[in-house]
Amino acid sequence: MPYLGSEDIVKELKKALCNPHIQADRPRYRNVIQRVIRHMTQGVDVSSVFMDMVKASATVDIVQKKLVYLYMCTYAPLKPDLALLAINTLCKDCSDPNPMVRGLALRSMCSLRMPGVQEYIQQPILNGLRDKASYVRRVAVLGCAKMYNLHGDSEVDGTLVNELYSLLRDQDPIVVVNCLRALEEILKHEGGVVINKPIAHHLLNRMPDLDHWGQAEVLGFLLRYQPRSEEELFAILNLLDSSLQSSSPAVVMAATKLFLVLAKEFPHVQTDVLVRVKGPLLTACSSESRELCFAALCHVRRILRSLPGHFSSHYKKFFCSYSEPHYIKLQKVEVLCELVNDENVQQVLDELRDYCTDVSADLAQAAIFAIGGIARTYTDQCVQILTELLVLRQEHITSAVVQTFRNLVWLCPQCTEAVCQALPGCEENIQDSEGKQALIWLLGVHGEIIPNAPYVLEDFVENVKAETFPAVKMELLTALLRLFLSRPAECQDMLGRLLYYCLEEEKDMAVRDRGLFYYRLLLTGIDEVKRILCSPKSDPSLGLLEDQAERPVNSWVSEFNTLVPMYSKACWAAISSSQVSEPHGPEPSGNGVLSASGSLVLENKEELQPLCDSGSFLLVPNGQLTAEQFEKTWLSLEVAHQEVLPWQGVAHPDTIQTALQVVNIQAIALSKAGVQPWKAYFSAQDGAGCLFLTELLLDPEPSQVHLSVKQSQAKAEALNSFISVLKTVIGTIVGIKS
Amino acid sequence: MIHSLFLINCSGDIFLEKHWKSVVSQSVCDYFFEAQEKAADVENVPPVISTPHHYLISIYRDKLFFVSVIQTEVPPLFVIEFLHRVADTFQDYFGECSEAAIKDNVVIVYELLEEMLDNGFPLATESNILKELIKPPTILRSVVNSITGSSNVGDTLPTGQLSNIPWRRAGVKYTNNEAYFDVIEEIDAIIDKSGSTVFAEIQGVIDACIKLSGMPDLSLSFMNPRLLDDVSFHPCIRFKRWESERVLSFIPPDGNFRLISYRVSSQNLVAIPVYVKHNISFKENSSCGRFDITIGPKQNMGKTIEGITVTVHMPKVVLNMNLTATQGSYTFDPVTKVLTWDVGKITPQKLPSLKGLVNLQSGAPKPEENPSLNIQFKIQQLAISGLKVNRLDMYGEKYKPFKGVKYITKAGKFQVRT
Repeated sequence: MPYLGSEDIVKELKKALCNPHIQADRPRYRNVIQRVIRHMTQGVDVSSVFMDMVKASATVDIVQKKLVYLYMCTYAPLKPDLALLAINTLCKDCSDPNPMVRGLALRSMCSLRMPGVQEYIQQPILNGLRDKASYVRRVAVLGCAKMYNLHGDSEVDGTLVNELYSLLRDQDPIVVVNCLRALEEILKHEGGVVINKPIAHHLLNRMPDLDHWGQAEVLGFLLRYQPRSEEELFAILNLLDSSLQSSSPAVVMAATKLFLVLAKEFPHVQTDVLVRVKGPLLTACSSESRELCFAALCHVRRILRSLPGHFSSHYKKFFCSYSEPHYIKLQKVEVLCELVNDENVQQVLDELRDYCTDVSADLAQAAIFAIGGIARTYTDQCVQILTELLVLRQEHITSAVVQTFRNLVWLCPQCTEAVCQALPGCEENIQDSEGKQALIWLLGVHGEIIPNAPYVLEDFVENVKAETFPAVKMELLTALLRLFLSRPAECQDMLGRLLYYCLEEEKDMAVRDRGLFYYRLLLTGIDEVKRILCSPKSDPSLGLLEDQAERPVNSWVSEFNTLVPMYSKACWAAISSSQVSEPHGPEPSGNGVLSASGSLVLENKEELQPLCDSGSFLLVPNGQLTAEQFEKTWLSLEVAHQEVLPWQGVAHPDTIQTALQVVNIQAIALSKAGVQPWKAYFSAQDGAGCLFLTELLLDPEPSQVHLSVKQSQAKAEALNSFISVLKTVIGTIVGIKS
Repeated sequence: MIHSLFLINCSGDIFLEKHWKSVVSQSVCDYFFEAQEKAADVENVPPVISTPHHYLISIYRDKLFFVSVIQTEVPPLFVIEFLHRVADTFQDYFGECSEAAIKDNVVIVYELLEEMLDNGFPLATESNILKELIKPPTILRSVVNSITGSSNVGDTLPTGQLSNIPWRRAGVKYTNNEAYFDVIEEIDAIIDKSGSTVFAEIQGVIDACIKLSGMPDLSLSFMNPRLLDDVSFHPCIRFKRWESERVLSFIPPDGNFRLISYRVSSQNLVAIPVYVKHNISFKENSSCGRFDITIGPKQNMGKTIEGITVTVHMPKVVLNMNLTATQGSYTFDPVTKVLTWDVGKITPQKLPSLKGLVNLQSGAPKPEENPSLNIQFKIQQLAISGLKVNRLDMYGEKYKPFKGVKYITKAGKFQVRT
């Protein structure tokens, strides 16, 4: 923002800086320089006094030097030609007897961020690496990383890298950590700094000397080290034991992650570690800093995925207090919902009930949905609480409650009756689209046991012209048609009116199409309508499939102590890939082409790497494969994998089909339920275009399922991932049946 | 790691920015403002916000937002903790961490940030090391500086890192050798309508102020160390010794530092020192309501409870309040609807109470729920958990130090539901 009269200010400053009287008077001179900096930070463009500032850097006063360096670093990219003049002074300062001046000058020189500066800074950095003051060495080590970034895509300098590796043995702990940081940046295209056995052991021995930032980072680097033997592994774990008790949450979290990763073969050790960090995590959850609290809560949710009962005895820690910000309250509600067990269910429900009347509509709705989640196990209590909430006649509450009811009825059919009794009267207090859809769906599907269902729907039909949400109109059409099947006399007239409206007046194409479809369906006769519309009214198995059983610790450990628990993975992947394709600073014109192509290859490698090593095997929906194509491919391929899995009972084609659909495995053909022998064919495709064709053959006698998989490209790794996906799904289905 | 830092005040002005790796345009903060708009309250911005090219990790301290720009995957707790450390340092240097203080000392702020982070990595963050590098401003020093022209930067290197023990510099000398410990406990509690405890917990810390010459080796023991549930230590403490003998043995840093922090969570151990009798009711279809609260002591171990303040966020429909306090003074802000009652200390003979009428907006429906009361108090010379220091021994030096322990109990998040 340009300030009024900024030109005058700059002129005045320039005059003051040139004034020999002021220059002779040190405090006054420094005062003027401070004013320049102050204006700079306020956004006034003071770059025109650059020359005078360069002159001012030739002084013995360290503060003045610091200020001038700060100024130079800010404006050097704008005035590269003038900044070259300053380099001379900086170089001279790099050999000053005072280590502080040397460090300062070196740091500023490395931060100049202008093209062509590399050739001047190389020598001072190399000198700095061998300086006897640790302060200068610290700066020089990071300077290497800065220099490399300025170069952009140039070759990695082998001797410099070796020098940095040898500095890992430096006496000063911060130099050691800075070396790791610098190497990590310089070698980022080669997978970062390599941690071999000697380095790992050296770092482990230096741990107690480091400050906690250093400890946290070293713990992060140690993740790359794979101990050779079990003995070594446990020796390392013993050595790091005290890190789990550190006063810094960052160190505790980094140590936890390291422990979990190292002990990935020993689930009982992992559980032990999680038990031990319970205390520190709970402390962080009630920390004064709300941000720490939020981060800790996100990690608690991760842990709960694997150890559902882990924090149950501490459920009171997760009660919201009035003054907390919303994002924390929402996390706490989610956590509470997962902590419920037989002993605390009453208290937790009482607490959640209190939140349902919170001033913030978001929190109130979240609490209601949380009660809905708990209702899957403790149905009666929850339905009662939800029913009581309807009395309040608040719009956002009623809407959330009805939505919860819809999901509940679908997952726990035993509560249908209670829900249906609670519904009358709700329609007056629902205004939003989601709530209306839920209510209309409930009335349509369970209309035969709700006495006034047709009359409520009639109100909706009357007001359909004023209805703004197309989704509500579609829901209304379906619901009314369904209700017509069970209570034809009461519904016939209004169904006619609604269809007439949809066909003649409705502007939204989707609604009109739906209306037309139902109209034609009705023309084919009532039996056909019944066959199409009377789908099952509930499906408890879906709920079990949805909240997967306990996931192993190893499935989330790579994401522990990263931003992922606070944000979805996909989001981060998008950011880092766009990062890679960004050009790195200005390119030197000489060998630009060669080095650019070199770096391209490296970039690709980097992009591929996370795909392979993180095990993010992804199936993409294809669905375009016809039965004929499938047959042709099937016959042309060899069986790549065969396996026999246990099975129980009869196969329900629908369940299997839905379950596999969730993971993008398409059904091609299935036998009807109960047919002997029962067979099914499926196809799937992964991100790289490899096709997987699967045959399931059910053997009723020893109750087994024979699994054969064929693959269009011979890729063992992808095949293994695919089979593990398939087995997980089949395992889940069998689990539900038993 | 940390690319840039922006400081933003409550009205949304970016009043300071600092870049380490490359300059990130201010426009990145637009995503932050967008998130602020989405959250109903300005303060309710989630700490992590994603933008197409960066992540923004922010903390909220003393009405200021510290927004850091991140470009690679980082451990979130690390960055959050570091930002808090930056704010702590400002607080330490300028006495308060406010926009005015930072603007007044903008030059020092830049110097500090330059020393605390290099290339985005934390460098020197210990307050006693920083103070050797950059001297904090004092009125006296600024006067002296302007006369003598001396600088506020140390021209010697901090010696702290040259000794074998990274947190203590070599060659410390004091004429009066003193070691003071403050045991500070905060009670976090939620009390429900009927007065029973929903949740209670004690968060404690022991802060030390050590001014001892040479390399003293201290050991501090407690009367009842098993009280402590979950303890975290300053790096100087020998962990093995604590595990085996329950004794804190350490070579202390010089000056002020936090020795341990701990938690006492088993509920029967947490005494609740005050009780509140309340009667807040709003009549249906009428424009007034009753408000009546009384505070009394309970389980206070014979000590006086002082510094009591009660804050109540009244419902939106409340227009004004006509109250009389038997003790202390109250204010009601009709804009934010916050009632603050500054009580002072409790004398058991005459319990302080505040009662009167509440004027509601006419015609508005009666509020759904009653407000919660947030209570602050202080008890001197008492650690509510019962923790007691037994003795402090010093080895390694000849002189006799002066020792002292102070206890204080405060209310943390202490909330009474009505």
